[in-house]
Amino acid sequence: MSVKVDAKGLACPMPVIKTKKALESIVEGTVEVVVDNNVPKENILKFAKSIDCKAEVLKNKEGEIVISIEKVKNNKVSIPDEDITCDTFDNNIGDEVIAIMSDKMGNGNDELGGVLIKGFLFALTESNPLPKAILFLNGGVELTTKNEATVEHVKKLEELGVEILSCGTCLDYYGLKEELKVGSITNMYTIVENMKSSSKLITIG
Amino acid sequence: MNDFYIISFNSTHHAIRAEKLLVEAGLSVMTLPTPREIAASCGLSIKFEFNDIEVINSIMKDNSIERRGIYHIFKKESKREAIKIQD
Repeated sequence: MSVKVDAKGLACPMPVIKTKKALESIVEGTVEVVVDNNVPKENILKFAKSIDCKAEVLKNKEGEIVISIEKVKNNKVSIPDEDITCDTFDNNIGDEVIAIMSDKMGNGNDELGGVLIKGFLFALTESNPLPKAILFLNGGVELTTKNEATVEHVKKLEELGVEILSCGTCLDYYGLKEELKVGSITNMYTIVENMKSSSKLITIG
Repeated sequence: MNDFYIISFNSTHHAIRAEKLLVEAGLSVMTLPTPREIAASCGLSIKFEFNDIEVINSIMKDNSIERRGIYHIFKKESKREAIKIQD
């Protein structure tokens, strides 16, 4: 059983309430919800998690985000409408750009450098304002491809509206082009433009 | 990230070793900088699923890993707080 919900253009908590109603209407199966921005998306994902339903983002384009939620027989959806809360995710985006030149933070011990860069990207997800963009260059492209822990943090940053750009030449050199897990591939011209247009460039190497 | 549990460490080496052991055991954990609510120093903590607490405790005991404690981090009246729930 599959139900489709169009929640585009609706303000929170309406998309969540519509999702809930659709889930209530089926015993088991999937509900596909279409929303147009990150606020309802995050709130629907949060709601799905709160009722133990598996949720997946099928399409993540500006203006059209498709979320699929799977309901199994014993999922209970009976939450009163008034208990549905919405976060507004009002993180501000600043105009700083961060360039990450390596898969480690600083020189010294490599294991420690790996731990530090992971901690750095995590702390960045909680910072306010967020950077406008993060550029991954040279060994830094490991962080958007092979390193699962950092990919998770970078995905979170992308969801919060930070532009994630990995250097195409670098991905190609390391044979990681097919393994890009987050953000998009860019070239040196865009990298230069990003660096020059930022109010502050923070370089991590 | 407003309600979660972490193991906080005094030693970076113990934190790194604990992370390796817990990942090898197939647990879903995440290393993060120790939240300010617990300590102002630059330490490491490991976020974990509360259901795994017993497995984690036994792995840590078997490998004699020292820790500052286990903390519950949550938001109260829009401020983040940390409460120590285990040594």
